[in-house]
Amino acid sequence: MCALSHYLEREGIQTTGISLVRENAVHMRPPRSLWVSFPLGRPLGTPNDAEFQHGVIAAALELLARPSGPVLADYPYDAPAADASSAPACPVSFPKAVDDDAGWRGRLADEFALLKPWHELSLRRRRGRTLVGASSDDVLANLQRMGELLDADQLPLDDLKWFKLATEDAKAFAIEALTAQPGEHDHRAVQRTLWRETQLGAALAEFHQRFQQDPKWRLFARIVAPREAVAAAGDASNNTEANP
Amino acid sequence: MVRLSDLPSYEQEHLLAKNSATRGPAPWVAPAKPLAELRIALITTAGLHFRDNPAFDFADASFRPIAGDEDADNLIMTHSSVNFDRSGFAEDVNLVFPIDRFRELAAANQIGSLASVHYSFMGAGLLPEAYKQTAVQVAGLLKQDQVDAVFLTPV
Repeated sequence: MCALSHYLEREGIQTTGISLVRENAVHMRPPRSLWVSFPLGRPLGTPNDAEFQHGVIAAALELLARPSGPVLADYPYDAPAADASSAPACPVSFPKAVDDDAGWRGRLADEFALLKPWHELSLRRRRGRTLVGASSDDVLANLQRMGELLDADQLPLDDLKWFKLATEDAKAFAIEALTAQPGEHDHRAVQRTLWRETQLGAALAEFHQRFQQDPKWRLFARIVAPREAVAAAGDASNNTEANP
Repeated sequence: MVRLSDLPSYEQEHLLAKNSATRGPAPWVAPAKPLAELRIALITTAGLHFRDNPAFDFADASFRPIAGDEDADNLIMTHSSVNFDRSGFAEDVNLVFPIDRFRELAAANQIGSLASVHYSFMGAGLLPEAYKQTAVQVAGLLKQDQVDAVFLTPV
């Protein structure tokens, strides 16, 4: 973002904007930047809160009137945190025991069936809005193909574009299903559930590990699963080994 | 609060590498009009686009147009990073791309007007210099649209 503001301003267009990582703005010195204390992925602070979003926008727009710069301002308010005690509970009870006989393909398909009614509820509550649809194939077909690859101990090296979009859709499908109920969801809890309890999270952590093993694919591994998921998968594996 | 220390080490390294990049003297455009007269465009680096646009690649400095009269609820996200929350964007497009908020500002005459077209980039995996060419291209498009100022959102 800092790079874009630099180049646009150099072309004569005023820029202002939001910075989520303060150290970055300090070093990059974009012409005008409002640092906010919000989580990554939430530059306007909180969803469905027009008043709060307007406050953030007004503070960033105010910087356009400053006579000289660069300007880095700190937004004084944190985003309202979701009340964990009143946040909707996870609607799905994921199996604790892994069905090894089903293989990855079977387990991912079973989980899709478990989540599908909740995704349908999500579509109704969100009036049809969904982030699914990056891939030209449907979510179930993509999950089955991902499962087949894991079961065959293969990586999709000849079709990485498909893999990226398939994983994007699978995550969107799961997140929307997990947050289908009305109410203010705790995004940290959603992330924990996605990466620590679902077969999708486990599958992506497994893909990450397999990409990671080849130095050529280590960079790619980073976009498959976050550190948290890989650590969680490692913990689960260690526990299994310790308590067979 | 997001600190570098909260991020995975490779994300820290990537961000620090960006910090060390040199891009010439810091540019500055002095204010020429009050906010209520500015024509404003939104630019996001969240990797947003409509389904019939090409998805963003793993590292990709290209951009996608977002027409101001399109329904932003149809935007999807193909950002390469896995280290940020996506559930908020699933709940409200304005959390990342605050188009409704800016429409409200324009309707209330608090800004002059909104651009005809806004733009989306995908901010991951590349150093700042990689965006120079496409940023200059977008600047040209913004000027054609008489845009005075840009509001940038990361993800």
